[in-house]
Amino acid sequence: MIQKKVCMLGSFSVGKTSLVRRFVDSIFDDKYHTTIGVKVDKKIVKTNGEDVTLVLWDIHGEDVYQKMRMSYLRGMSGYLLVADGTRRQTLEDALSLNERVVQEFGKIPSFLLLNKCDLRDQWEIEPSQESKLIGAGWNVFQTSAKTGDAVEKVFLQLAQAALDK
Amino acid sequence: MPAGSIFESFFATQGFALFEFLGDGEFRLIGTWPNWCQSMWGDFPANQQNIRIGDVSPFLENFLFDAEQFWNSKGSGSANSGNWTERDSGGREIPLEASAYLLDGTRLLIVRNLSETFDQQQELFQTARDSLLVYEKLLREIQKKEILLHCIVHDLTQPLSAMNSVFHLLEREHLPAQLKKYVKTGERESQRQELMIRGILEAFSSDLAAQNSAQEKTGESPDLADCAQRAVREFSTAFRDHDVRLRFDPRVKKSADWRVPGDAARLDRIFGNLLENAMRYSPKGTTVTVGVEDERGFVLAFVDDEGPGLPKDQAESQLFALFSKGKSHSGKAGLGLYFCKITVERWGGTIGAQTRAQGGSRFWFRLPRAEKIVAASHSAHMKKTAPPETHHEKQKPAKRLRILVADDADINRELVAELLQKRGHIAIGVADGREAVAELEKHDFDVLLIDEEMPNMTGLQATQAIRQREAGTTRHQIIIGFSGHATEEDERKFRDAGMDAILSKPVNMQRLYQVLESASAGANLLPRTSHVAAGGATSGATETISQRAALGESLAASNAIAHLNRSTGGNLKLMNSLASILLADAPKALARMGRAIAQNDAAELAAAAHLLKGSLAIFGASKAVESARSLEAMGRAVNLREAPLEFRALETEFAQLRTELAPLTKKNKLNKMPKAKIRRKTKPAAKRRKR
Repeated sequence: MIQKKVCMLGSFSVGKTSLVRRFVDSIFDDKYHTTIGVKVDKKIVKTNGEDVTLVLWDIHGEDVYQKMRMSYLRGMSGYLLVADGTRRQTLEDALSLNERVVQEFGKIPSFLLLNKCDLRDQWEIEPSQESKLIGAGWNVFQTSAKTGDAVEKVFLQLAQAALDK
Repeated sequence: MPAGSIFESFFATQGFALFEFLGDGEFRLIGTWPNWCQSMWGDFPANQQNIRIGDVSPFLENFLFDAEQFWNSKGSGSANSGNWTERDSGGREIPLEASAYLLDGTRLLIVRNLSETFDQQQELFQTARDSLLVYEKLLREIQKKEILLHCIVHDLTQPLSAMNSVFHLLEREHLPAQLKKYVKTGERESQRQELMIRGILEAFSSDLAAQNSAQEKTGESPDLADCAQRAVREFSTAFRDHDVRLRFDPRVKKSADWRVPGDAARLDRIFGNLLENAMRYSPKGTTVTVGVEDERGFVLAFVDDEGPGLPKDQAESQLFALFSKGKSHSGKAGLGLYFCKITVERWGGTIGAQTRAQGGSRFWFRLPRAEKIVAASHSAHMKKTAPPETHHEKQKPAKRLRILVADDADINRELVAELLQKRGHIAIGVADGREAVAELEKHDFDVLLIDEEMPNMTGLQATQAIRQREAGTTRHQIIIGFSGHATEEDERKFRDAGMDAILSKPVNMQRLYQVLESASAGANLLPRTSHVAAGGATSGATETISQRAALGESLAASNAIAHLNRSTGGNLKLMNSLASILLADAPKALARMGRAIAQNDAAELAAAAHLLKGSLAIFGASKAVESARSLEAMGRAVNLREAPLEFRALETEFAQLRTELAPLTKKNKLNKMPKAKIRRKTKPAAKRRKR
């Protein structure tokens, strides 16, 4: 069976683990559990009528306590760059992390997820900023691990993009 | 039991799985296959001694690259994978860690189940990150409150500014002595109240908002080297605690004159902020050096560290932006460097940062030398009780100046000329650079006040033409440019063309007086790149970008009439006149822009948007100005793709402005139009409109 390694990247507490849990187990826990190191999970999806195993690398959010090892990304076929739409800084952090990734590994299929879109009243990303990101070539999705909005879609589309590569 | 078996059993019970690397992805299991391995990766391959560990765990497959590299290097120590988590057959998460060792040529891989100790580690990280989240949230709350407070105080000061203007106007009338006393009391009290409000603002919002709007109250010239040394003394203990050496640059000649404008307390705070920043990013055992240098009429202060240098992913301008902070999040609310920037620029200086060639970063700021300010300023009585700006405004100019005002926008020309005439000067208006040059050939003017962009001949071209004509003579026409542009590059261009000073639009009455009169008083004394101040105050003739930004910020919250009231010094007739001109001209300009967009005429759009932008700025209509500016930029870039959208935004903003100005125009109809105050050499159409 075809296997594709997909990495989840972004600051701490943006919801990377929750997105994976929603996608793999269809569950959501409101409490924040920080990730230490990497959580490896698998899910089989159907793409173009074919079974593909997505090996999901949920990598801890980078902060002053933990720096991300670029070696974790070795061999990945795609990645989801996750920012918390209610914390503007996490978008800046995600984009700066992306620059490092591109510098190291070149262009790899990736989507930008603005997560926690269920928290509309706390949203800090301006529509104009989102437009700019789209203009800059990003596939941007507003997701919610809580409600499941767009979660399945982004993983499946990324699997497709990874296969098409 | 053989000794080897004992160790193997011990390791297995302690949660270790041991393997010997045989090459080509093959591993030999040493000892037993632990239960936890079985629950994650299944039974050990039957009838086999070896296992391809990379096949059962994607994480280990990845780590083997690093492990092999380590084994091949034949180094000592170990290679560690870092923590990872996999799920076992029951869905439980098992925390793991792998290490590679080289023992007597044997390549060992140890995989460890961390379940026993992981909870503790998890709790530690959880607490730390929860705290970071709370901290972030708190910062955001503070920021919101800062902004709210700023808006409230801004709104509170607006009517006070108007009251001050009214008292100021009343004072000029021939009032009976008793009444004059009352007016004086009123003026003094309203100023006192304004100061109190600003005091509250400063106390609450610590750094920024007070700076945005505060009047300068200083006439002192502190010694920058003294401030730097004081900062070194104050911070040396804190640096020592961080194991970083702090020193004052021994090359600095202490006997030299390092006086600059400003006040010592704020300079101390600037050094303090820069030093806190340096301390945060300096590795242990390094040195931070503080010093001052002479820089052709300016004093440059610097803080050099030996840290990692500036972040590559952050533009220098961002470092000093409001609420900006380092990527490591170890900074505060992002106010410190912003405070430094607005304070330094308020005193006519500049600030910046760079990565040093020898490593580390340099944060610096440059201020004009105090003697420059003294040379251009007036007598000592300016420094007495009243705030300098107010005092300056009240004081009649030493000389009645003849001023030529060149601006293609009637409304701008009228406003500037009115302000000048109110001040007692003679103002003549022309509509472009060519007319200005022609007028200067026929008549003498003390000062040419010229707009940057005009049809036929721009302000820059006119300045170059005038300077060429002066070449080889002793003549020097004082030329002051005004511009709505906002880049340092533009300012440099102005100065290179030969302008003596630059004013930004929209025109600020007090600054206009200060710059004009300082420039003309100094005439040939005025160096082209100098910052001139009047009345002991330290405002620069060349307004800086942040001052404009600060002004723009205040405009955003203002209403058009209040803004106009302030710009015109409360001259109702002039306000009526300006509103009428705008309401007559803007719809035409908008129609012109609409046509230009429909016909995809980029140059026409840029020209029309430029004119309208200047007019709108007078009313403090910041959003409309921004839209006009965008449209002008689109026109110049010959890219009208987004112009229709922006144009609609501009129309909406103008409709809003028209509603805001309605009370003025109603009044205007009752009182009829005010008579013109400006002599206009050409363009009779403009004249007609004014009557």
